Amino acid sequence: MSIAIEKISKNYGRFTALDDVSLTIDNGELVALLGPSGSGKTTLLRVIAGLESPDSGTIRLRDEESTHLNAARRGIGFVFQHYALFRHMTIFENVAFGLRVQRGGTRLTRREIRNRVDELLSLVQLDSYARMYPDQLSGGQRQRVALARALAVRPSVLLLDEPFSALDAKVRKDLRDWLRRIHDELNVTTVLVTHDQEEALEVADRVAILNRGALEQYGTPQQIYDHPVSPFVYNFLGNVNLFHGRLLTDLSPATQSAFSGHDIASIIGFVRPHEFELSRSLPEDRHAVLATVERVHAAGPQVRLDVKVNGGKNLVAVEVSKARYRDLELREGGEIFISLQAIRVFNDRAAAEQLLDQGAGI
Amino acid sequence: MTRVILVVAALFFVALFLVLPLVAVFAQAFAHGWRIYIEAIREKDVLAALRLTLLVAAVAVPLNVAFGIAASWAITRFDFIGKNLLVSLIDIPLAVSPVVAGLMYIELFGLHGWMGPWLSQHNLHIVFAVPGLVLATIFVTFPFVARELIPFMQAQGSDEEEAAVVLGAGGWSIFWRVTLPNIKWALLYGTILAASRSIGEFGAVSVLSGHIRGRTVTLPLEVEMLYNEYNFTAAFAAASLLSLAAVITLIVKKAIELISGVHTPPSKEDFAE
Repeated sequence: MSIAIEKISKNYGRFTALDDVSLTIDNGELVALLGPSGSGKTTLLRVIAGLESPDSGTIRLRDEESTHLNAARRGIGFVFQHYALFRHMTIFENVAFGLRVQRGGTRLTRREIRNRVDELLSLVQLDSYARMYPDQLSGGQRQRVALARALAVRPSVLLLDEPFSALDAKVRKDLRDWLRRIHDELNVTTVLVTHDQEEALEVADRVAILNRGALEQYGTPQQIYDHPVSPFVYNFLGNVNLFHGRLLTDLSPATQSAFSGHDIASIIGFVRPHEFELSRSLPEDRHAVLATVERVHAAGPQVRLDVKVNGGKNLVAVEVSKARYRDLELREGGEIFISLQAIRVFNDRAAAEQLLDQGAGI
Repeated sequence: MTRVILVVAALFFVALFLVLPLVAVFAQAFAHGWRIYIEAIREKDVLAALRLTLLVAAVAVPLNVAFGIAASWAITRFDFIGKNLLVSLIDIPLAVSPVVAGLMYIELFGLHGWMGPWLSQHNLHIVFAVPGLVLATIFVTFPFVARELIPFMQAQGSDEEEAAVVLGAGGWSIFWRVTLPNIKWALLYGTILAASRSIGEFGAVSVLSGHIRGRTVTLPLEVEMLYNEYNFTAAFAAASLLSLAAVITLIVKKAIELISGVHTPPSKEDFAE
């Protein structure tokens, strides 16, 4: 089922939760709503579900105007952050709930309900837990029950509100992969709210990035990662080094043209850790600075280095391959020339100041 | 050492001011033996007072249960203008003396009160009749159920109800299948408190009763009247019935606390959820 969100705004008193947000989600797509807390992503999900009503704008489900349609009649499955299982019901009854409260001709017989619940419990690999109560299960198991319960009524849209955020890292990773498989198997349009950029980029077909109630960027994970449209998006995707103007002139010839005609103080540049070039001697074009290796993290496929530009204050995160690390004979306390392979420059004083206030920047 | 002193002091005061008087009631009631006690209780007026007390409780308690659920639901699940005011108003009966409550109803429904003329034209009797007793009892027991449910429902949140809505359940279905099973112990707890108070209520009921023996006299009023007539054995026998009700209430209340965990400190796991 396709979802069209058109110009949705929502305020809580003087707090703007959503500010003129528009985006469309195609049938069968898995879209992640990504943003920091307070960005409005959960509010948007609840508006789609009908658990909140927007102050203005429209929601169209399956090309039908549905802004004020009762949540009970939208044909959606909703998975809550804290599971929201019915605590006084067994796992079986939890999954059967949506089938039992169906009205009129669509209600299944007792036997059909039993078969459907069994089918779902085996889909989420919890067959033997049918008679247990929610508080006897682990967090990961409870969230699988919540998913089975949501899927029982064959929803045409599945909405998940930070479903894995209360779980530990290993379980979170497993459930994320498993969610993607279920999505592909059932081909149900899915909207996932998350504040974890890795989760969003890994699992979703398209990612919508929200900031302070507004949509910053909407695109495939690759588009978003490779072509962030704003300093906010670049910074939020994580793992970046933020430079302001003056230092950049020394680091890369590529950036010098970007500075012409601009106030250098309003320029910020982002460099990802793997976009540095390291060398033991000053390169021929002389665009490099000398830095001291402060710390080496050698565990993992890549070696991560914290280096400090000589004369600077803050650490720069750099990633190199294991082989390159050995060739360079790097060690803590040693010195190395760093230069840039790539940089993304924004000329946005307000954004620069906001990010610098948060303690980022070199 | 401090601990021992505090514990002994607390036990001493409980014994002196609570247990001893309770024992004295039963001692007095049985002072002239079993036979006299049974006779005193089987007295026509005492039985009538007992029936009336139970009748009043049977009407007042369910009404307050319905009100308590509705108010707690509205307060914990919706935002509306005047919500804080409603929360404060619920507490009025706890702050106002029951005698004043009784007088308020006299002023409202009495022969010379605001609605008195209209009521007497239509031959409706509230003051000095059973409806007045019920009204007074509803007033004094008003906060008990809501007071119990509001913090409980706030702590539980509305996640489960929202989950039920999204799954297609209607309002009634959600109430019976999801909300009620979750609040049942807190509800029962509040109901017990309300019932116990409505059986024991004296002040408000005394003002509105008119003390017509056998018709508008509840058990607490009967105790006072017997006592004023120097009929001590009968007074204490009737009082022993009220005390018995209190003891039963305490036991049921304790049992609910043990079974359900209502009013026990939340465990670590509740926070981990």
